[in-house]
Amino acid sequence: MKHKAPKAIAMMLLASTMLFTAACGNTKGEESSTSDPNSTEPITFSFFGADTSPHWNKMQDVVGKKITEATGVTINAEYDIASGGGDDKIALMAASGDYPDLIFPKANLSKLVDAGAMIDLTELIEEHAPNIKKMYGEEMNRLKYSNEDQAIYTLPTNGSVDQLTFDNTGGFELQHRVVKELGYPEIKTVEDYENALREYYKAHPTTEDGQPTIPLTLSADGWRSMITVTNPAVSATGAPDDGEYYINPETYEAVLHYKRPEEKEYFRWLNKMYNEGLLDKDTFIQKEDQYKAKIASGRVLGIIDHEWAYNDAEVALKNAGKDEMTYGHYPVTLTSEFKRADFQPVGSDGYGIGITENCKDPVRAIKFLDWMASDEGQVLRNWGVEGEQYVIEDGVRVIPADVQERKNNDNASFTKETGIGLYFVFGPHYGDGVKDPSGNYYTTNFPEQILAGYSEAEKEALKGYGISTWKELFPTEEDFEVKEWGAAYNMPVPSDGKYQVIYQKTQDIVQKRIPEAVVSSTDKFDQVYDNMLAELDKAGAVEMEQQYTEWIKERVRLWTGKDVQ
Amino acid sequence: MSVKAFNATKSEKVFDIANFILMGIILTVTLYPFLNVLAISLNDSTDTVRGGIYLWPREFTLENYKTIFQYDGLIQGAKISFARTIIGTLLGLLSSSMLAYTLSRPDFKIKKFVSTFLALTMYFSGGLIPGYILMKDLHLIGTFWIYILPMMVSAFNVFVIRSFIDGLPYALQESAKLDGANDLTIYYKVILPLCKPVLATIALFLAVGQWNAWFDTYLYNGSKPELTTLQYELMKVLQSTQQGGSNVNANDLAQQMAQVSPESIRMAITIVVTLPILVVYPFLQKYFVGGMTLGAVKA
Repeated sequence: MKHKAPKAIAMMLLASTMLFTAACGNTKGEESSTSDPNSTEPITFSFFGADTSPHWNKMQDVVGKKITEATGVTINAEYDIASGGGDDKIALMAASGDYPDLIFPKANLSKLVDAGAMIDLTELIEEHAPNIKKMYGEEMNRLKYSNEDQAIYTLPTNGSVDQLTFDNTGGFELQHRVVKELGYPEIKTVEDYENALREYYKAHPTTEDGQPTIPLTLSADGWRSMITVTNPAVSATGAPDDGEYYINPETYEAVLHYKRPEEKEYFRWLNKMYNEGLLDKDTFIQKEDQYKAKIASGRVLGIIDHEWAYNDAEVALKNAGKDEMTYGHYPVTLTSEFKRADFQPVGSDGYGIGITENCKDPVRAIKFLDWMASDEGQVLRNWGVEGEQYVIEDGVRVIPADVQERKNNDNASFTKETGIGLYFVFGPHYGDGVKDPSGNYYTTNFPEQILAGYSEAEKEALKGYGISTWKELFPTEEDFEVKEWGAAYNMPVPSDGKYQVIYQKTQDIVQKRIPEAVVSSTDKFDQVYDNMLAELDKAGAVEMEQQYTEWIKERVRLWTGKDVQ
Repeated sequence: MSVKAFNATKSEKVFDIANFILMGIILTVTLYPFLNVLAISLNDSTDTVRGGIYLWPREFTLENYKTIFQYDGLIQGAKISFARTIIGTLLGLLSSSMLAYTLSRPDFKIKKFVSTFLALTMYFSGGLIPGYILMKDLHLIGTFWIYILPMMVSAFNVFVIRSFIDGLPYALQESAKLDGANDLTIYYKVILPLCKPVLATIALFLAVGQWNAWFDTYLYNGSKPELTTLQYELMKVLQSTQQGGSNVNANDLAQQMAQVSPESIRMAITIVVTLPILVVYPFLQKYFVGGMTLGAVKA
């Protein structure tokens, strides 16, 4: 900058101002479309999704082009990033009135409703959406916003309608080699589970390469401790998953699930395991990657987790040819009188997509969502295009081997190209196990396909128990009533205010005291656990539970029409 | 640091050796995390799960980088990121140093008021929503200039430069005035050359800040793919390997995870994001030292 004249600086400033003014005056609203609702004239809807969708390809994929062809609709989508959830973006929309035409607000729906951003879909569905009506049928009530405001603002899309799960990937896990060596013992209670671990551990205190065997380890790193440490206490004592609460099905009273006496017994069992040396000493100090590294080494006999969480460790085992060190899923309960509720149906419940006040043509929008919910639309969203991503052989939809292979091994680019899996948010859809009028499943997950995914060692273990999927060990959907309040963890609660403060406090207490109780000496356990319960109440848990109970009751009233007091 | 091989006293030798060791330790401590990140980013992701990767990859692969560079927004994002870094840094330097010079002048009447006003912005901000509404009313949303203008003047940078100028002898400015220089000439011919070290520091702040910014892209230009930035694109990639979504079936997920583990991808991203900005450091290095000794005043 030595030889430049000051003029240069002045020029730069001038140039930048000019540039800046030139850049002004941009977006103008698009032309509003025709009023004929049946037209398939090109129309563009803007959309914001509070989940992330990194493979979104601006509808330049096979499925996207087909959708535009059939409906004339192009979606200009923007998705949330970072942790997902869209909190910031939606707060800005609510404050500034800049809404997209369609929105999937997730847990932030209330912000938009309070801002008057959402339109009531009740009439629109009644008049223009036969497919959506057919789908929800009896459960239409569950779409309503609240008792005071019975409008329908969103159509649940992140859950599926009438979902029937074909396999269980949770429960208590044991390595296939363990059950094989012990001759496939019955694994039903924590006692069975513990005995299996103990016996195998006694016979094999170290692995072949001399590393110590770990009978049982858990991951307590951040939110993972909910999955592997505290939630199993709920499921092993026969309660369904309602987040941090247990909800009494008769009275709808919500309590923090730690207060159930049977759960104390579950934690006592963990405490016993710890003191006996069967539960890994590092359980509460290891990070998630250390936990996975242990599993991937094959020296962990048992875990209490979900497959989606430890999957990459299991893949590492499979790649190393150690199939016998991967895990089966067992219906372990505290004692034989409990019945695991993994498969208790929750009914329609979930976040959904809605139409905003800014929408140029709500009728076209609802018709678009309805087309997406039609048989044609659903098959397209799940399977792709006939002759490309699937073929029909003797009336049965099949995915050709080469397509399946790409789907498995090059999923990212497959998704980008075909768009399969990118459009679930645009309109309701049936879940696994539901068949369309042609007798084919709507989704691409069905028993035959799951069986094909098992490794040899896994098949052997299943055979040892005389079953074909892990699910057969568990009580099924038929054994339970549909939960009247859906899944409580899906229920939106205020994101700030008193409730949230107390909730946070209780979480802090639980995360500190549960590990403390588990690692204390056996005679101290009662004291630590009871102190924790007292501490929770001191932090205001009772008040918080009453508040939560009220919300649950409101939900039940709204959904079932029952007069709950 | 030079080691005197001969005629060094014993104590000097001891000092040198100790110095070597100490500096070696510091170097290791600072460099190791980076090398570890590099090693993990070049390692087969399935293998990474097994843990125990320290200085070099166990199973070398470029798969993780391939995954990242598959995204088409990356090239456009890189363009915009470079543009905003260069333009934003230059304009930021210019405006902050001009303001700082003005504030350093004792004959500036409302110096105190402006300084206080500026300092307030360091401790109080309007918050997210008022900021958004302001940008909306300025019609900056959906334009490139939203990356530049809001970040041009930051109170902290101005104060850093001002205190540096305050440290320069005022006699320099007086003598320039006597020679017939006007304010602009003094700023340009006297102050700026002397300020090189502090300007280099601020340039680094600005450049790193611009380069790493993604939140403004997300807030204001999320629906404009032509204005995406590198960091924003990388944020998206990072997400894709973290959450399977509720609709992905376990088999697909298993296969996907086999290709890329979050750990390896995250490290690959870290490398991609860090390298370009690392390149800036050596170029600014010389200014940190230079300029200190320029134009001394004879007492």
